[in-house]
Amino acid sequence: MKKSSFVLITIVTALTLILAMGSTCFAADAIKTIKIGVLYPLTGGAAAEGRELRAGAELALEIANGKFPGISMDMAKREGIASLGGAKIELIFKDHEGNPTLGADLAKKLILDDKVVGIMGCYHSSVTKTVSAVCEQYGVPMINDSSTSPALTEREFKWFWRTTPHDGTFTKDLFEFLKGLTEGKSKGIAAISKDQIQNLTAACEKTEWGSQVSQAIEGRAAEYGFNVKKSLLYAAKSPDLSSEVRAIKSVKPDVMLFASYASDAILMMKTLKAEKVAPRIIWGQNAGFEAPEFRNTLGDDVVGILTRTVFAPKVGQVKAVSNQINSMYKQKVGNDLSGASARSFTGLQAWTEVLQLAGSTEPAAIQKACNSIMIPGDQLIVPWKGIKFAASGKEQGQNELGSGIIGQYQKDKDGAITLEIVYPFDVATAKLIYPFKGF
Amino acid sequence: MEILAGSIVAGLFIGMVLALVALGLTIIFGVMDIVNFAHGEFLMIGMYTGLLTAQSTGMDPLFTLPVAGLVGFLLGIACYTGFVKYLLRGPMIAQLLGTFGLMLFLRNLALLIFGSEDRALHHGALVGKSLEIGMGVIIPATKLAAAGLSISAFIAVWLLINRTKMGKALTATALNAQGARYMGIPTERMNALAWGIGGASVTIAGALLVNFWSVNPFVGLLFTMIAFAIVALGGFGSVPGAFFAGLVVGLITEIPGFWDFITYTFNVDWMAKVPMTSFKYMMVYLAYFIIMVVRPRGLFGWKH
Repeated sequence: MKKSSFVLITIVTALTLILAMGSTCFAADAIKTIKIGVLYPLTGGAAAEGRELRAGAELALEIANGKFPGISMDMAKREGIASLGGAKIELIFKDHEGNPTLGADLAKKLILDDKVVGIMGCYHSSVTKTVSAVCEQYGVPMINDSSTSPALTEREFKWFWRTTPHDGTFTKDLFEFLKGLTEGKSKGIAAISKDQIQNLTAACEKTEWGSQVSQAIEGRAAEYGFNVKKSLLYAAKSPDLSSEVRAIKSVKPDVMLFASYASDAILMMKTLKAEKVAPRIIWGQNAGFEAPEFRNTLGDDVVGILTRTVFAPKVGQVKAVSNQINSMYKQKVGNDLSGASARSFTGLQAWTEVLQLAGSTEPAAIQKACNSIMIPGDQLIVPWKGIKFAASGKEQGQNELGSGIIGQYQKDKDGAITLEIVYPFDVATAKLIYPFKGF
Repeated sequence: MEILAGSIVAGLFIGMVLALVALGLTIIFGVMDIVNFAHGEFLMIGMYTGLLTAQSTGMDPLFTLPVAGLVGFLLGIACYTGFVKYLLRGPMIAQLLGTFGLMLFLRNLALLIFGSEDRALHHGALVGKSLEIGMGVIIPATKLAAAGLSISAFIAVWLLINRTKMGKALTATALNAQGARYMGIPTERMNALAWGIGGASVTIAGALLVNFWSVNPFVGLLFTMIAFAIVALGGFGSVPGAFFAGLVVGLITEIPGFWDFITYTFNVDWMAKVPMTSFKYMMVYLAYFIIMVVRPRGLFGWKH
């Protein structure tokens, strides 16, 4: 009996040791690669933006996993995640087609089948909403790089963080810009009398995004003492916008504000031109106004039009690191970084720094790192003060240091149309064209 | 007054453009009792034809209309002889699902070939031009041309149907295909012709629309829904009905303008706060709904 007990104990001990060693080996294996699921619209109506987003994330991945001592970014100097023994990041891309239900299904598959450490995406605020709910349910961290609906960070989610500024911030930027114009802060032009830009109109497409922008404009206008003479919502998929244009024209506005997708932004500008409308300022809330086809289709007519964005190649004039990354991107993809690709690059950079700080792939460690991380602005290609997520409060998970820029389409010496930065005033790259010269 | 005049003129003009889009749909339905769900995709092909011909040859987009018409005519005949002809042997549901399938096929084919990006023209005699006709009423040159083409196309189709032998054969096929066959009318050929004419009219409309609207593989849907409402309002199969229903729909989409006119003329504050533009297409479909309930055969319907 004694002998058999001894044999049994020996076998159990040996098995325990083998299992323990095995799990140590598996653990060592696991941190050789860190899987992150990335959801973007790679087909469907927003496929062009999806491709840009993917290319931005892939460039950040290349820099994070390789060694680029010439780039002044911490991520570029390490090879992989140093605190995890140089583990490499692997991105698993999935296409949500702009469909919130599909996005949620894909997120479940990424979590349950691919065993990802975290999720990034999804561009469409509606998809981010469902995907983040899945992440919250499974306790998997999600860093959102590119969705701007303010409501996303007003849900007090414990597993959701957002690097990009939201539409509330962008709209505040617009009114700070208008206020700055009346105070003579804009480069190269004298202070403008407030009477000249007092009357505003807003025409926003009527899905969740456009209606939120419309509300934000009305709220901020009241706060800053501007008068919204007409605010309307329209169907982006509309064959004709002439009644909308005449409605805003009828109140003779000084400033026209828009939140439009690409094809309706183009149709809106063509209709404004046909109706011979020429306000002093035209401003678009990114999206359609920043799309390459907007500038390609309208050609010289875009000169003088303002759009909010988070990135313009001209940022490179004031930030060397932006210039370096933009050159790499241009070499790889063939065009400059856009607002979309610059944000997906930054999103993955945030993931890299979070993993580096966490030193673990455990969700709780990542959560702790997200809530305490501080990435200084000089590390980033976007002109923000840095990345620091609100750990509590009304906007839990929102990056508190992000900011937008306002660009204006201008013609350079060679006749090419570029997006010059006109706000923030201290990083302006060109003199503001004011008033808008008309179409 | 400026707002009222502007709204009426704009409503009539956009109405004529929409009627032109609906013309092909009503011809095909009138002759064959088949609803072509792929109508919007024909329009999209017309737009791409106009765009690509203008871009590759450098010619003005206006001169691409005959090319688009030819493409549409051949496409219509090809769709009929290669596909729809076989659907007619099946029940009504097969015809509906068949043209729905054709719609998905053409849309995805365009997606494969052209990608999902919006493309648009930025040159041409009409692009960006407009005409001021007094009282603050401005008419964009593209809409003027489209309206002119719409009137010409409706007159031509009306003459073709009512004043030619071929038109009589088409009408006979539409009224009683079997009877027409007994009279020696080649009904198969008439059906193919209806698809050809229907296809050509909508692709010509597409080539004209590309002067002011950007094109992507999904663009057809925007116009098809309204074209269906116009055809149903005017009466399925009625050519003059489609024209007048087009004008009615055009004027309905301008209701926000009439609303503004009342608001500013009588200074009614609460009216200024009503977001009328959000409802403009809802009102079109409401009119469609009312007509369907009150007069199911539409304003000018002649089919039973």
